[in-house]
Amino acid sequence: MRFEIASDCLTVFLDGEIDHHSAQGLRTQIENLLSNRQLQTLILDFADVEFMDSSGVGMIIGRYKTMAARGGILLARGLSPAMNKLFHMAGLHRIISITPKCIRRNHE
Amino acid sequence: MNNKMEVRFPAIPENEAFSRMIISAFIMPSNPTLSLISEVRTAISEAVTNAIVHAYGESGAGEIVIRAALVDQRLTIEVEDHGCGIEDIELAMRPFFTTQPEKERTGMGFSLMQSFMDGVHVRSKAGEGTVIAMNKMLCSSCDDIL
Repeated sequence: MRFEIASDCLTVFLDGEIDHHSAQGLRTQIENLLSNRQLQTLILDFADVEFMDSSGVGMIIGRYKTMAARGGILLARGLSPAMNKLFHMAGLHRIISITPKCIRRNHE
Repeated sequence: MNNKMEVRFPAIPENEAFSRMIISAFIMPSNPTLSLISEVRTAISEAVTNAIVHAYGESGAGEIVIRAALVDQRLTIEVEDHGCGIEDIELAMRPFFTTQPEKERTGMGFSLMQSFMDGVHVRSKAGEGTVIAMNKMLCSSCDDIL
């Protein structure tokens, strides 16, 4: 997982497979980056994510709650067709802005 | 090609990825589309995660058995555990129902299995364990193209 912090925006570049096992580590890493910083925008970049299941959805909803609690926003980008379908099934598109710009690099 | 397999492994989170790898390898000879592989991988990942998280309570103890068969392009998968069992299967399968919201569980596991497979049947007995049986036709013509 790579990340960039610019102004009040944290961008996290997720990669590989997001399941129950890996989601636990991501949750901790992202929460650590957010704590003690006045960040108002969290961008989750899924361009290099090869797989995600409902545990990944839970991790995203958790970060949405973290950002909402501080009056900030969560954006998602780089969704594959499979992940886009998962986002819709979970209703995530109703609470999270998904940037239309597709910057997927390696997959599909 | 008709085929079958049985794999037994410890119920540890690292084996969620392992279960996806073995099911991918198992169905590969039938030339499934990418979206079909993705759906089967998601379904088995949800079933195995349920066993690790709920049946064995993330204790790391216990085993999971995966049985799979491929007969004339029809895939059947059973994910079996010998954990705590499910007392109310109907409630457990209700969309977005979860016993662990504080752990960021979504309650979507069974819904995703049902969406991505043709059929999902659950047998469970409290204190003895659970078997999740799923099936899906792997022919590309009946695949739901994304």
